Amino acid sequence: MKILYQDLINFLSEKPSKEELSEKLFQLGHEHEISGDIFDMELTPNRGDCLSLLGLARDLNIFFGKSDPIDIFDNNINDLEIDFENLSPLDCPQISFLEIEIEEETQSYRTYLDNYFNAIGNKKTNLFTDISNYISYELGQPTHCFDKDTIKKKLIFENKECNRTFKTLLGSEITLKDRNCLFTIDDEVISLAGVMGGESTSCSSETKRVLVECAYFNPESIIGKSVKYNLVSDAAHKFERGVDIASQEMTLRRFIKVVQDHAKIKSLKFKSFTYEQRQNTKLQIDVNKINKILGTSLERNEYLRYLKSLGFNISNQITIPSYRHDIHTNNDLAEEIARVVGYNNIKSAPISLEKFVNNDEVKVSKLESFFVKNGYYEVINFPFTSNKEKESINIDNPLDKNRNNFRISLKDSLIKNLIYNERRQKDSIKLFEISDIYTKDKELKQQKKLGLIISGRQGHNYNNFSKKLDKKYLNDLLNVNENIDNDIFEIIEISRNSIDTKKKDKIFYVETPVNDIPKSFFLKLDHMQKAKNFIDYKPISEYPSSTRDFSFLIDDLYQFDNFIGMLDKVSDEIIKDSFIFDFYKDDRKKVIKLGYRFIFQSNLGTLSDKDINTKINEVLGPILEIKGVSIPGM
Amino acid sequence: MSNLDNINPPAISNELGGLHPINQTKDYLLNLLADFGFKEVYGPEIETEEFNFDMLNIKKSHPARQMHDTFYAEGKKNVLRTHTSPVQIRSMLASKPPIAFTSAGKVYRKDDDATHLPMFHQVEGIYVDHNVTFANLKDLINRILFELFGDNIQVRFRPSYFPFTEPSAEVDILSEKGKWLEILGCGIVNPIVLENCNIDSNQYSGLAFGLGVERIAMLKYGVHDIREFYKSNLDFLQQFK
Repeated sequence: MKILYQDLINFLSEKPSKEELSEKLFQLGHEHEISGDIFDMELTPNRGDCLSLLGLARDLNIFFGKSDPIDIFDNNINDLEIDFENLSPLDCPQISFLEIEIEEETQSYRTYLDNYFNAIGNKKTNLFTDISNYISYELGQPTHCFDKDTIKKKLIFENKECNRTFKTLLGSEITLKDRNCLFTIDDEVISLAGVMGGESTSCSSETKRVLVECAYFNPESIIGKSVKYNLVSDAAHKFERGVDIASQEMTLRRFIKVVQDHAKIKSLKFKSFTYEQRQNTKLQIDVNKINKILGTSLERNEYLRYLKSLGFNISNQITIPSYRHDIHTNNDLAEEIARVVGYNNIKSAPISLEKFVNNDEVKVSKLESFFVKNGYYEVINFPFTSNKEKESINIDNPLDKNRNNFRISLKDSLIKNLIYNERRQKDSIKLFEISDIYTKDKELKQQKKLGLIISGRQGHNYNNFSKKLDKKYLNDLLNVNENIDNDIFEIIEISRNSIDTKKKDKIFYVETPVNDIPKSFFLKLDHMQKAKNFIDYKPISEYPSSTRDFSFLIDDLYQFDNFIGMLDKVSDEIIKDSFIFDFYKDDRKKVIKLGYRFIFQSNLGTLSDKDINTKINEVLGPILEIKGVSIPGM
Repeated sequence: MSNLDNINPPAISNELGGLHPINQTKDYLLNLLADFGFKEVYGPEIETEEFNFDMLNIKKSHPARQMHDTFYAEGKKNVLRTHTSPVQIRSMLASKPPIAFTSAGKVYRKDDDATHLPMFHQVEGIYVDHNVTFANLKDLINRILFELFGDNIQVRFRPSYFPFTEPSAEVDILSEKGKWLEILGCGIVNPIVLENCNIDSNQYSGLAFGLGVERIAMLKYGVHDIREFYKSNLDFLQQFK
């Protein structure tokens, strides 16, 4: 909700600066952003009463005083004879109608009305609708204007099931479904109550006779309708959060006054229908209870002064104003007091609890530790899939049809992760995931599962570089304790036939319920130490990497340590990784051969051969100056 | 050293893998809260409306319960939990105060855009005892945030609204760039929720708080795009060893 600073100031006795106003609004819990003179308010859903200048001024009263700038029409008004029937008073316990007829000639908009449209950026439509929008901004009570000449028969309010199209006053056509609160004439829908009126009865610049409807709709009757029909509606936003059930007549009297500022009124008629007498909520005065909730030591007088400033009526008990739908208990009152005092001004008080030693998830922690030590990376996947099995949990309202079931296995997610990384030029992939899996039989079943997938090289060091991740590797890895039954970890080979990939490396996969892993497996595993240092993350590159391999020959063995030391120091922004992938002592020739791989990648763009060659010359130059170190053929 | 036999092969560094940064952050928060005296409790991700909403004083008409915000399953028999609070409800029903629980894990909301994911992680805490006050809540939250972001961090409490706490607050910290960053939500447990869990609200009161794990991980690591956490990209994961 956008509020013009000058308009809000007009509702306050003191005239705080934007900064002072902003500070107090935050203290009261009214988040906002300021752009020029506009305060863009984001109010919590329980504070529908603050969706107006008047509402915010009521809340700010304790700090800056509330002025009363609203001029209303306070003369008697003739009764309106209206053929109206309310078939659903539970949805609409209070409704008022005002009929106004004006002379042909209207005046240009007064400054306050013009400012509202120009500064806030709302679009002008016609005099009556514009006034309706402005009044809602001022007072928080929406009104709806029917062109009176289009209302010729009995007007009915009803909550009914229907399946028909309805053209809104903005010209969009919607199909009404299920139950809706409606205004109808002759069974024709003329307004989706509390959300948006229809085109057939809307006002235009030609309208001189208007029927203004001003109602209290139960929030539950309106909630969800604007989203359901994709309508942006300020009225629905307010009705959903609750308007003041006692404000309809005052709102319509203000409406008359604003019309008077812009046109000569020929006639006025008013009629109000009340179907339920609501009593304001009352609470006992109990300052001790408030202090007990907040941990404060507030005096009774101070407590009551704060409540009074917020519009609460104080006698031998506290009467909650009709616009505060959110206050029911002493906890609610405590929040009111805390807002006024300022959350940041309430002194902290320590609690003392004994340190708790948590051992519940030892199995998971040991598995995590074991796989991390063996070079595996943990992944977390979304559980949604299009694969439907008999035991799958079905999502009623999925994001799309490809995510309409809960997965019953980790396999497909892990295959996707593996292929994704192969496409990013990864040649040694070891991933695992531990996650709860949900299935249904007669009842919902929850099972924590471990899944792991491997493909490619066993590692990048010279011992593992040429070895492939295969079934034997997995068997050796998982057979930590020779006594365990090998069936626990059933190793399956995933066929590449159904996968869109040119890679040939075999893929192996294991999945098992964590609780099926016997205790003996865990005996030799360590609990992971989880001391935490948060690293500074560096954004990853989306550009391809390039690999360069070099075969060094070291024939002066005295220089070997020096050579290794210099290789270890190699570092550059575009060298993403480098490692020794081959090491060989040639006993016959008394030389050492060493294979070294550089992986180049830039965050700024794709590297050209020239970029890479320049960097290689820069890096290798000093190394090749070492006596007895060469790259044969280079 | 001229003899080949005397040459030591280059050292082979252990090629370690790594835990997912979200789980690292979640574990860090749980350990921190265990140090403060909170015991972790567990519960299902697929819940009933009763435990996910009703018991937490979230009314039938609350927007969060609508089909566009919450995933429903099995013909509306179940919901994918929208927070880890139902775990605390189940644990409160099974215990008697004083209690201090944390619940952590995956939660689901029907969102999918650049800044919102349909699945993310929360860590929540609840403490119920005699005379638990808003002043106690402030102290605990300050201690958590000082541990997370350092003793010099500036903390701001703002009024907010959650159906299950009253008073409710959102807590911000001041960034190095001078901008307030929203960190967590918290409040005094609504007495209705205590009564729903068979705890006498005249005798006991409680405090509760909830942190978004992705939010904390993004701030602590400096990751700007939440989607990076779920691409399973080894270039990304390898940084968090």
